[in-house]
Amino acid sequence: MAMSPTAMVARRALAAASQGSHEGGARTWKILSFVLALPGVSVCMANVYMKMQAHSHENPEFVPYPHLRIRTKPWPWGDGNHSLFHNSHTNALPTGYEDSHH
Amino acid sequence: MAHQAHAYHMVDPSPWPLTGAVGALLMTSGLAIWFHFHSMTLMTLGLILLLLTMYQWWRDIIREGTFQGHHTPPVQKGLRYGMILFITSEVFFFLGFFWAFYHSSLAPTPELGGCWPPTGITTLDPFEVPLLNTAVLLASGVTVTWAHHSIMEGERKQTIQSLALTIILGLYFTALQAMEYYEAPFTIADGVYGSTFFVATGFHGLHVIIGSTFLAVCFLRQIQYHFTSEHHFGFEAAAWYWHFVDVVWLFLYVSIYWWGS
Repeated sequence: MAMSPTAMVARRALAAASQGSHEGGARTWKILSFVLALPGVSVCMANVYMKMQAHSHENPEFVPYPHLRIRTKPWPWGDGNHSLFHNSHTNALPTGYEDSHH
Repeated sequence: MAHQAHAYHMVDPSPWPLTGAVGALLMTSGLAIWFHFHSMTLMTLGLILLLLTMYQWWRDIIREGTFQGHHTPPVQKGLRYGMILFITSEVFFFLGFFWAFYHSSLAPTPELGGCWPPTGITTLDPFEVPLLNTAVLLASGVTVTWAHHSIMEGERKQTIQSLALTIILGLYFTALQAMEYYEAPFTIADGVYGSTFFVATGFHGLHVIIGSTFLAVCFLRQIQYHFTSEHHFGFEAAAWYWHFVDVVWLFLYVSIYWWGS
């Protein structure tokens, strides 16, 4: 499998930085943290924010499929009919959505 | 005073293996009691016992190693083997859940609509929060490596900074996942899709919390001058575990979030 030139350069640099005794290993990883890793996280954060804005907040119409919303045994909490992270806005019960739903 | 004629550590008698075993027994049987008889007492008792065991056992190991000098090179080598074997066992643990996922998703049954994702399931967009989660964990892998090199170079302040950053990224991942769990349009009860999704990512999330805790303990130990530039195995074990957690996420992301969407 051929590697891109960028990947080759990165691989050589990372190999050098991983030598424990070689001075400046910490500095290399510090630079990578602030120049690559954290900006990468920021870019992904911005991407999520923009995608959230573009979303419409519609939920799919409720269809009582027998293979979904299975209730073989009630949960040991509450009324036994709500999952642990139940969200009445996005999760329907076997009988349908709870709230009047936009 | 007696001296040992070898470099190994003959550990003093300890009650923690027994209390740990009892705690595990009470937790598991307590779980069954909770499910069938709606009482949480036994399970809670087991949990408290387990937490107390972990605190005191690991405290004793730190005393033996850092303060009493029992962790000679051969002893440390044994600890390394131990951690590697433990992580290997965890790899097999996750392998099982990936097996379950691929078993159900490669040949979806007619009950699901003969397709994957099953009919009626709205999957999460892999390029929204799941991608952010990937970036967060990869970044934390970089910062924990920065921390390791800082320890080896005797850079106290940088070690503290990079470790703190790693832990913050870990907590950020957990917060994001918790939000995703709440906002998801499907639940664990949504057939085999829900089961495989929440069991695999749920156990992963638990391991993120465990790994973050391990790193936090290292953070506190670093503040208290436990680690030297030559000897810091507790940190190395935490870093190995953290990389393992990261790799499991990458497999989860590619398999369940991306391919499975």
